[in-house]
Amino acid sequence: MREMAMFDVIVRGGTVVDGTGAPGFAGDVAVKDGRIAAVGQVSGEAKRVVDAQGRVVAPGFIDPHTHFDVQLLWDGAARPALEHGVTCVVPGNCSLSLAPLKASDRKAVVGMFQQIEEMPPEAFTTAFEWTWEDFAGYRSALEKGLSINVAPLVGHSVIRLWVMGPASQERAAFPDEIAAMQALLRECLEAGAVGLSTSFVDLDEHGRPVPSRYAQFEELDALCAVLGEFGRMLQVVPEFYATDITIARIDQLADLSIRHDIPTTFSPLFDTLAVPDNAERAIARVEEQFARGARVWPQMQTRPIDISFSLLRPSLFFARLPRWVRILRQPLEQRVAALNDPDTRAKMLADLGSDGGEAMFGRLVARGGDACPPEYVGKTLSEIAGLRGQPAGLALIELSLENGLDVAFLSAGQGHQSTDRIGPMLAHPLVHIGASDGGAHLASFSTYGDTGYLFSEFVRKAGAMSLEKAVAKITSETADIWGLKDRGRLATGQCADIVVFDPDAIARGDELPAFDMPGDGMRYVRAARGVDTVLVNGEVAYAAGAYTDSRSGVVCV
Amino acid sequence: MGEDALEEAVIVGADIVAGHDGTAELVVRLLHPDGSEHPVLLDEDTGLKLMEACGASGLEDLYGQSWRRILPQA
Repeated sequence: MREMAMFDVIVRGGTVVDGTGAPGFAGDVAVKDGRIAAVGQVSGEAKRVVDAQGRVVAPGFIDPHTHFDVQLLWDGAARPALEHGVTCVVPGNCSLSLAPLKASDRKAVVGMFQQIEEMPPEAFTTAFEWTWEDFAGYRSALEKGLSINVAPLVGHSVIRLWVMGPASQERAAFPDEIAAMQALLRECLEAGAVGLSTSFVDLDEHGRPVPSRYAQFEELDALCAVLGEFGRMLQVVPEFYATDITIARIDQLADLSIRHDIPTTFSPLFDTLAVPDNAERAIARVEEQFARGARVWPQMQTRPIDISFSLLRPSLFFARLPRWVRILRQPLEQRVAALNDPDTRAKMLADLGSDGGEAMFGRLVARGGDACPPEYVGKTLSEIAGLRGQPAGLALIELSLENGLDVAFLSAGQGHQSTDRIGPMLAHPLVHIGASDGGAHLASFSTYGDTGYLFSEFVRKAGAMSLEKAVAKITSETADIWGLKDRGRLATGQCADIVVFDPDAIARGDELPAFDMPGDGMRYVRAARGVDTVLVNGEVAYAAGAYTDSRSGVVCV
Repeated sequence: MGEDALEEAVIVGADIVAGHDGTAELVVRLLHPDGSEHPVLLDEDTGLKLMEACGASGLEDLYGQSWRRILPQA
């Protein structure tokens, strides 16, 4: 009599979408020792059985552009990324990482992180013990508490800062400094970095270009030669919307890719109706460069871009309302006086038309996380106006005045918003779905849930691609682009990163403020919808709406 | 401006777009002397400065203005 196989976990009775793009099929997935042990009709028993009836069973999603470098030190799940089905994140983008970094340079890099990620200062002083300087030390600190897998980039700016000190933000590097940067990058790659990130656009907290922007081409070329020794990735932030500069960057990346036999990726690539040929020209150039043998992957996000503003600062949001622009441009004291003045206010409201601003402002949403009274948070200005018995324009002014002008409003979908245009681009074989910026822009907007939005908007609503294709785009294709071994597929021997979700319900939740950052810092988040269970390296990390105590994440490079 | 000054690019269109960081940004379309048109994206601060330099209270006020207004005036 044959002995029944004993597994750690069996995910039973779901539709297996294996990450390759092949059609889903009814089956089970069995896990043993952190790896997938069987896929198909699995007989045997397991210590834990996950019921996947009516659900899709897919490889865990991989997010290739995040800034979770700091958060991962106190939150190894990169919440809420994991609950959205993301089992691997790539932090260290945009030239910034937390290693290698001398203790004496921490203050400078913290300033850059605060500028780019909007991370509260307490995150760097109270939430973890800063014990490392080199990349291996950072890796060790990370690995103490991971629930999610991490493939960290090393930042060009911190490599430059280590070698050149303050001169890293003053001048080009000398040959001996470039050689030192090469040696340092080599050390980081040996310690588990998945590649190098650099930026051509980012600024520090003083408005100065970050160190990587002072590098001449010879420096970048020399660093790419080191990446070539390992076959690792170069990530860059190009000049957004400046199409011709983006194309020049694509050409530059292509030359580096071919010369050093490395993959490269640039992020983000946006679509905008104001410059309608921006993305399509960039993609056309990418096609031409791939035909030459280069690997230049444009990263495109799924979510539209929203505009947010308050009356505390001037905003171009009002650029179609000349009187409002003139008033809101005034110093704060005069601005408040003007908004309180009955004659001025009457003229402002008259500018909005006979509907009192309903058409112009009615769909704005009070974001919360500021001085807005809780009863209005998450409501549209139209709803708030109804509750207050006022026209929308007057509600906007009075609600702002009642709360020191510290009430932020959101105008949704003002950029990268056309599903009809973006769907085919996301489905394009050379477009890399990513650029979520997870863990950045904390107090400005939510960077979580882009994978849910991919399914709800582009698979279910628009039919821009099949569910299987969407899964492949954010699993096997991402793993292959980044060289993540044994990730991204449901196949025997692969690492058991698995997500179980409802194909009819997976989506991103509403954007809400949360005060869960160190020092009661605020950020905007979106909860997951339709995700039942997430396994990381064979252990259940999230199930039935709750995180487990699992610490099975690894640095997976 | 001297009589022999070269022709300049002028603004012939303007629109607001959402910036990567959630701010409102300004895209202006430039008409060059050779007849070609080209969009330029300005971040919120630069866009507000351009409107101020042009004395513009609305997008339409930018139309026909010299692109040189983007630079601080001596």
